[in-house]
Amino acid sequence: MSAFLEYVPGASPLHRMNPVAKLGAAALFAIACFCTSNLVFLAVLLVVGFALAASCGMVRQTIGLAKAVFAFSLILAIVQILTTPAGAVLVQLPWGYIGTGSLLAALTTVVRLVAAAIPLFLVFYVTKMNDVTNAVVKVLHVPYKYAFTFTSTIHFIPVFMNDMAGIMEAQTARGVEFDAGGIVKKVRLMVPLCVPLLVSSVRKTNSAAIAAEVRGFNLRTAASGYKEYPFAALDVAALAGSVVLVAVAVALGVLL
Amino acid sequence: MIEFKDVHASYDAALPILKGVSFAVERGEFVAFVGTNGAGKSTTMRLVNGLLKPDSGQVLVDGVPTTELKTSEFARTVGFLFQNPDRQICCNTVREELLFGFKALGMEGPEADARVDALIEDFGFDPNEDPFLMNRGARQLLALASIVVLAPPVVVLDEPTTGLDYRECVKVMDIVGRMHEGGATVIMVCHDMEVVADYAERCIVMSDGAVVDDGPTFEVLRNRATLERASLVPPQIVDVSLELTRLVPRLAGTAVAKANTVDEMAAAIVAASVGSVDEGGRR
Repeated sequence: MSAFLEYVPGASPLHRMNPVAKLGAAALFAIACFCTSNLVFLAVLLVVGFALAASCGMVRQTIGLAKAVFAFSLILAIVQILTTPAGAVLVQLPWGYIGTGSLLAALTTVVRLVAAAIPLFLVFYVTKMNDVTNAVVKVLHVPYKYAFTFTSTIHFIPVFMNDMAGIMEAQTARGVEFDAGGIVKKVRLMVPLCVPLLVSSVRKTNSAAIAAEVRGFNLRTAASGYKEYPFAALDVAALAGSVVLVAVAVALGVLL
Repeated sequence: MIEFKDVHASYDAALPILKGVSFAVERGEFVAFVGTNGAGKSTTMRLVNGLLKPDSGQVLVDGVPTTELKTSEFARTVGFLFQNPDRQICCNTVREELLFGFKALGMEGPEADARVDALIEDFGFDPNEDPFLMNRGARQLLALASIVVLAPPVVVLDEPTTGLDYRECVKVMDIVGRMHEGGATVIMVCHDMEVVADYAERCIVMSDGAVVDDGPTFEVLRNRATLERASLVPPQIVDVSLELTRLVPRLAGTAVAKANTVDEMAAAIVAASVGSVDEGGRR
């Protein structure tokens, strides 16, 4: 079972694509989501995202991710519903009203965020972190230390999530009830756990920095990697397709 | 009493970890689980206090299935020492850390304060020291102390001596030994066979998610077939006794081959060696 944002081996077309093309196409896809408020087009992008996930066997992970992003975007949606009065009045509030337009705007926000997140996260499920770093250095000539910092940050997300789960488990074994009480109680119980998580994070980061340093981190250049990352027809097609999506999104944003 | 009845468990349905594990640990026993990494020992420990629920079969703690209570409710009965103390420690001072368990269980009060103060004195802790600035051994000792202070009837230890030097290891295990003498049931996962031989009364060998041997520690450790099956190396003294009985067949029926503690075995080996050497030093 793979952890959050952890590479899952496979041989799908997405797995075989150039890491830079994957990153570029995913970024363009996300940009397309933010260039339009057309709900139908956003829904299409969402379906495309799930289709991409299905093509590389990541539907289960993608549904999990979509749920997490949905939960986060729901907070934004609620704020939007309460603070953006638009359309026919549905509920009168002391400071305004909730209208049909408010609900539509909130729904658009949720669909947009979920649709934009899926390809971005999918990239990390179908690409080894080393390949992301090396390809960004080789192809885009990004200095290695910046590429390494970026991929290390991504790499540490599942590590810290695992740490947090372990810490919560240890505290549960000591009698702390995380599954009882309201949200305030849960937050109150979680705050002290940030201390061990922070300590473990600092220790891990320090160890990683020392390990990188003793392995010649500062000596590394774009020429250091032996693996080449050539662009294939599929990579070009993916990037072109993503550019078209952005163009359509901009056009819809301007025209409608 | 802890009882496992044909327990199957996994973290992912596609990858079963435990495949039909059954055993019972009586009150007051000191049981060590040994086996290679991935044998299912730590998973077994997590099932004892309900951190993991069985896929099928039953885990009973004093007759109560772990599926019927929350893990936090088992905390009064089962104290759990994790391999990594940094996951357990979460307070700013040693004293707060030792009081944390009482707070979590709703048992704060003068009695809790008194027990913490007594323990601080017993362990020689500085009550105001920041736990995160203590060394690895001291943090492990603090994590253990935070369990000792609650005096649970069952203590589960997941590799308590990993990463400790010899002196720290002895200190930790002596405390565990004292808890056992005080009547606590101790269930321990340990890779250090010397520690197992020194402290455990009973040894359960696991391999590939199943129990392959279960019996008095020295009987298990003398069973070469079991140890080979579980890819384990017996402690040095058992190795010596096995080698002696192989080379000198008449020792097979003596204490060299039948001793049940390290001290008994050492004494028997010395006696056998002295007996085979005359005053002139000749064999």
